[in-house]
Amino acid sequence: MRARGRCWKFGDNIPTDQIVRSDRAIGSMQEMRKHVLENLNPAFARDVRPGDILVAGRHFGQSSGRAVAPKALQATGIGAVVVESAARLFYRNCFEIGLPLLQCPGVTAGVEDGDVLDVDLATGILLDERSGARFEGERIDPFLMSMLRAGGLIPMAGQLAGEADGGRGAGHGGAGREGES
Amino acid sequence: MNLIEKVLAKASGKREVTPGEIVVADVDCLLLHDLSGYLTSKVFEQEVKRPMRYPDRVVMVFDHHFSPPTEEQARVLEENRAFARRHGTHLFDCGSGNIHHVGVQGGFVRPGRVIVGSDSHTPVHGTLGCFAAGLGNNSHAGMVMPFGKAWFRVPETNRIELSGRHRPGVTPRDAALWLTAQIGEGGAVYRALHFAGPYIDELGVWDRWLFPLITIDVGAKCGFIDPDDKTVSFVSRITSAPFEALRSDSASEASATWSYDISDLEPQVAASPTVGNVTPVAALAGRDIQWAELGGHGGGRLEDIRQAAKILRGRRVADGVKFNLVPSSRQAFAQACREGLVEELFRAGCTWFPPSTGSNQAINMGAMAATEAMVSTQARNFPGRNGSPDARMYLASAYTVAASAVRGKLTDPREFLAGVS
Repeated sequence: MRARGRCWKFGDNIPTDQIVRSDRAIGSMQEMRKHVLENLNPAFARDVRPGDILVAGRHFGQSSGRAVAPKALQATGIGAVVVESAARLFYRNCFEIGLPLLQCPGVTAGVEDGDVLDVDLATGILLDERSGARFEGERIDPFLMSMLRAGGLIPMAGQLAGEADGGRGAGHGGAGREGES
Repeated sequence: MNLIEKVLAKASGKREVTPGEIVVADVDCLLLHDLSGYLTSKVFEQEVKRPMRYPDRVVMVFDHHFSPPTEEQARVLEENRAFARRHGTHLFDCGSGNIHHVGVQGGFVRPGRVIVGSDSHTPVHGTLGCFAAGLGNNSHAGMVMPFGKAWFRVPETNRIELSGRHRPGVTPRDAALWLTAQIGEGGAVYRALHFAGPYIDELGVWDRWLFPLITIDVGAKCGFIDPDDKTVSFVSRITSAPFEALRSDSASEASATWSYDISDLEPQVAASPTVGNVTPVAALAGRDIQWAELGGHGGGRLEDIRQAAKILRGRRVADGVKFNLVPSSRQAFAQACREGLVEELFRAGCTWFPPSTGSNQAINMGAMAATEAMVSTQARNFPGRNGSPDARMYLASAYTVAASAVRGKLTDPREFLAGVS
């Protein structure tokens, strides 16, 4: 799985409330998408193109666990979210809705707005095509990769619950380091 | 194994689980508030389209939009009510209290259970010896509702060892605010936090509550306190339903132990923009506030109401300050009535609101203008959460909130507490 597109860079500790304002959370996805991250960079919602890459700092997506925050980002058509680190619920939600997320320590210091980034999700390698800089992100747990390939949790939920019912437990992913959460 | 490893092993039908392992576990209770309930119900009915397997395990509480200010929000509640009727889930309508307090007071939260919810403060139920974690809508709609299960990665555990005694005028909330900054936002990502030590042992259950409450803000997956006699008698007074008070093995080892002594602590305040921006109240004393509030997931407890009354005895809320009191539950309000605190605080200039989550987000208690500031017992102070992104929000103890309401400025409460026991 790969993503390639222009970089949009954001800061540290951005809460989901800043991704989608809480009073918009009951509105239509079209409306949320139109205002996504508007307080931090009004140009993002207007100019983002399918395939672009959102880059952010530490503890991205903290606060509320509302999945509408990653869903609104997904609705912009971005190819991946690449962060120094993600808040746990945001991390989990991204995979459950099928939006690729890579934790890549050091990335924010090395890429600039508008750089074209090439992200290989299977290996965690990110390449900045402008500067030639190469970053090594964390490997995504195999269980979560399978969730991304399935298009999210819902398409694989029956199988997941059924396996547990069969007494075999879930044993997916084994001792994946950064797996969920 | 520690407590949460035991709970997860039992719930996933395994003899043992180890950190890093992914398990599919039975969920005992799904707590939803009006907003998360609405978003989850849409995913469940529009994308999942399966029957609700265990409606008795699903509890919806209207505590965020407890007084819907717009037609659209009223519609959300109506759709939620219809959803609850259609599927037979529990529903606690407006005025029932804060979601997590209703979960406890309703007997749904008992030691040894697996509790999930969309509200990010769901880990607070580790206070009673549960494995409790916040999950997203797709987990709830896609697995909990149709199968009664959820997937979890078993977290590594950090032990948070707390010792010491407060100085007068300092409260467990000051300790919890301070601890948030000590661990740091994102300082314990994916971890389970085991709160322990002589300080925790001494606290009552509702004061212990303030510690697992902070786990989300330091990035942890869950927090827990091993149940003891206090926990068991607390839960037994609420419900006759059975529970198993699992405890950590004494030999269970944490990945790390972080020790803190709170003996020298002063009253603390978390100033916008984030919950980890914590300083002594004294450092910010004198900043103007127009709004004060007891409320939120950890505020509006009887303990908070009593603290406010202690400060306001013989004093009044300053002109121009709106001091709003939001009981966390109907039970807390009833007890405040019995103790005469409802009238006393009303006469001192406070305004009572329905049991709920209070002004958590500018949904039903008004918004703030850019020039305004609020001090509250709420759990969040992110810009734009209660109106203008330029409005300031300070999080503090009920003592500090009440003292600041009296002065109209952020105030160290100890100057009002001299000679008060």
